[in-house]
Amino acid sequence: MSTFLLTQVINFGAPLVGLILLLGALGLPIGASVVLIAAGAFSQQGILSWPSTALIGLLGALIGDTLSFGMGYYAKDSVQRRFGKSAAWRRARASFQERAGLAVFLTRWLITALAIPTNLIAGGSGYKYSQFIAYDVAGEILWIGLYGGLGYLFGSQWELVYDFMSNFGGLILGLVLFGFGLKQAWNWKKKTRSQLI
Amino acid sequence: MSHKKRPGQRALMAGLIIIGILFTVFFGMRAVHAFRKFNGHRPLPSGNVETDVELIRDWMTISFISKTYYVPEKIIFDALDILPLSNHDKSLKVLNKEYYPEKSGYVLSLVKKTILTNQPPLKPNPPLTPTATPPVAP
Repeated sequence: MSTFLLTQVINFGAPLVGLILLLGALGLPIGASVVLIAAGAFSQQGILSWPSTALIGLLGALIGDTLSFGMGYYAKDSVQRRFGKSAAWRRARASFQERAGLAVFLTRWLITALAIPTNLIAGGSGYKYSQFIAYDVAGEILWIGLYGGLGYLFGSQWELVYDFMSNFGGLILGLVLFGFGLKQAWNWKKKTRSQLI
Repeated sequence: MSHKKRPGQRALMAGLIIIGILFTVFFGMRAVHAFRKFNGHRPLPSGNVETDVELIRDWMTISFISKTYYVPEKIIFDALDILPLSNHDKSLKVLNKEYYPEKSGYVLSLVKKTILTNQPPLKPNPPLTPTATPPVAP
């Protein structure tokens, strides 16, 4: 899939990059990161123009994020009906609202695997769209600048960058899951101990 | 109520920790391995022409390769014995499938060979320090 898309990016340029980033932001597993790094390399090689590719790519990613936020927003009522009375759901919602900005920002460029769930939860938990889009823009600019910039820097050797970045993303996700599990275990132990006392 | 939830919660926490450790170890090792590869590869200085034909992939098109390696498209199409018309936007893989279906990887290897033999000679790098002029013999 990715290699087919790379050929088409060479042929159709920036508009296709924008479309791929839009579909990627909607959760389609089409390799948006690999296309972004490659687009940076193609810009260095003179195949694409980097300002227009970065701008159209950013626009695509923002539209995709807005749509997935919207999906969460419109699913809010049914989620509320199903889990609204659950104390755990209310606690999780309040906890998300506290750190939503940071979560949106970090999942754009560092823990990209969690970007879609974050968008859906943000929309579904009643997080303000104006705040969501502000953190979203900052995170997406950093993502496009970092991934595209590394592709630009390494040019025709961009595959090395992709190899490293994809594994680094997995490593960060692993650390986040491990840290979250430990935190939950710690909280649970503290709560059980206080109940016993 | 909370006692009922405990086994499920415990399993979730254990699951998160185990998956977290597995992800960290697996991707951490792969990331270190990928990072080590950078040692042997540095970005090409700006303005320099790519010469490493091993970076040519079968998803690339002839026009892309021509621009990257500074070899005219016509030379590559002639070497492949393919007409440029309507083949500009096709990948090497598609060209191989259409024109040489019985020879797997033929187009890719022939393109690499053509680039190696037809690439313009590299400009010599200017010396970093001015060289001393040898004394003129009397």
